[in-house]
Amino acid sequence: MKKLTSLCGAALAALLLAAPMQASAEERITSSADVPEDFEFHPLPPGEGVDEVYYGCIACHSLRTVTNTGFSRRVWDELLDWMVEDQGMMEPEPEVREIMLDYLATYLGEDWEG
Amino acid sequence: MPKKERGLVELYHDDPERAEYLVFGRKAGPDRRGFLKGAGLASMGAVLGTTIPFSANMPAGLMPAALAETVDDFTFDAKHADMIVHNDRPVNIEAAAHLLDDDVTPFDKHFIRNNGTMPAPMSKSDWRLKIDGEVNEELELSYDQLMNDFEHVTMRAQLECGGNGRAGFNPTPRGNPWTIGAIGNSEWTGVRLSDILRRAGLKPSAVYTGHYSYDEHLSGDPDRPSISRGGPIDKMMDPHTIIAIKMNGEDIPIEHGYPARVVAPGWAGSVSQKWVTRIWVRDREHDGPGMTGLSYRIPRFPVAPDTEVPHEDMMVMGSMIVKSAITNPVAGAEVRAGAPFEIRGQAWAGDNHVVRMETSIDFGATWQTAELHAPHNRYSWQRWKQTIIPPQAGYYEVWSRATDNQGNSQPMVVPGWNPRGYLNNACHRIHFTAV
Repeated sequence: MKKLTSLCGAALAALLLAAPMQASAEERITSSADVPEDFEFHPLPPGEGVDEVYYGCIACHSLRTVTNTGFSRRVWDELLDWMVEDQGMMEPEPEVREIMLDYLATYLGEDWEG
Repeated sequence: MPKKERGLVELYHDDPERAEYLVFGRKAGPDRRGFLKGAGLASMGAVLGTTIPFSANMPAGLMPAALAETVDDFTFDAKHADMIVHNDRPVNIEAAAHLLDDDVTPFDKHFIRNNGTMPAPMSKSDWRLKIDGEVNEELELSYDQLMNDFEHVTMRAQLECGGNGRAGFNPTPRGNPWTIGAIGNSEWTGVRLSDILRRAGLKPSAVYTGHYSYDEHLSGDPDRPSISRGGPIDKMMDPHTIIAIKMNGEDIPIEHGYPARVVAPGWAGSVSQKWVTRIWVRDREHDGPGMTGLSYRIPRFPVAPDTEVPHEDMMVMGSMIVKSAITNPVAGAEVRAGAPFEIRGQAWAGDNHVVRMETSIDFGATWQTAELHAPHNRYSWQRWKQTIIPPQAGYYEVWSRATDNQGNSQPMVVPGWNPRGYLNNACHRIHFTAV
């Protein structure tokens, strides 16, 4: 019974979550030209993890470097490694790195228009 | 011009401790001083370019004063308003196609591709050029020596970024999404590198050069060159490869390499190190940043788009390849149907030169041979022009196609995909409307 409740709970949560997520997917910004200029992390589009990416990158280079082209998760993963191994980026803690990678793959994926 | 991103100063102002954690990985100790277990100390030191002797006392959230200072010798105002800005740190700017119309590219229309910082200009009296490695005698030349002790040559020379045209590849490879304007053809004056290398005396073991400069890596780490490429000794001994000290008759602007830079025309621009301070003559292919892995390299054989190519199957790019740009009309222009008007542009071919220029206004169904000028000197781009009459009102595209003296011509579609997106020389296209 307990198991069933928790399953129902999970299903309910999924339903509750699905609606706003779908809406945000439709409205998701796919071009930096559409990011409001007054957004504090401009030119990055809003999304979970935007501040980690912003701070993690701006020490060395502008965020245009990040928003110029969208990439697959695999390429972003390689780019983060390259930044740490070859370009002197401070190695983020694993959980911060995961947040950054999730953001990049989700909001600056292959459908990102630059 | 782009909106200025929030810099470190502003970030620190908002939430200094979080900024520190995310930028440097710094966590302060329980007394809000120092670096907990050293977290972030090394990366902050790397950005500052030194160690922090009193780090244990350093308060949390205190931005190092060195980072609050900015170098402001370059502003985007120095460039033509129609230049396309891809990035401001590092500075990466290309010309819109119609800005390539001058036979000699003025400063304000020449692209900029920086890998590292825009340095504060080093004075001519402090500047030195060191020649070392596989030479009989190491040299350290002053600016005055370059001015007075060597013969000077002046030439127009195409400098093109290896990734010019990258935006056309699908999937788009990493790197600046250049369209067609990462090319310039300014007039450069300087000393033949071959004269300098002869004075030093090349050993038989000399096969390659490695170039170094005084700009800094973006991480601020002084042990890390921003980029260090070079070229095979034959290219470096070519009389057209120079250490330039003038651009269009004046001191080279800081963004183009003040006070001196390499100009190795016809090859990827990164061979032409800006702000050069050292030419290291090597007994093997140079292996500085930008020479290895996938950088400025192309596959030895054709690959399918998005292929992960093993590094050992990549080779260093040599000469750039045949290409042309339409510089008039400006994209989207309106012209009169039935009336003649001039289409024109520039064409170039790396180490080669262009022998035939053709245009089409019917999507490549028919081609007309355009008037093509000889280069002003070897390695200069070449003017082409043609008068056309759009037969009726409507939408048109001009396509341009150059052919070089080796019989290579531009493909109408994007040529072979490669991991970093170099050497896209597909036909240039500009649309116009006849009314």
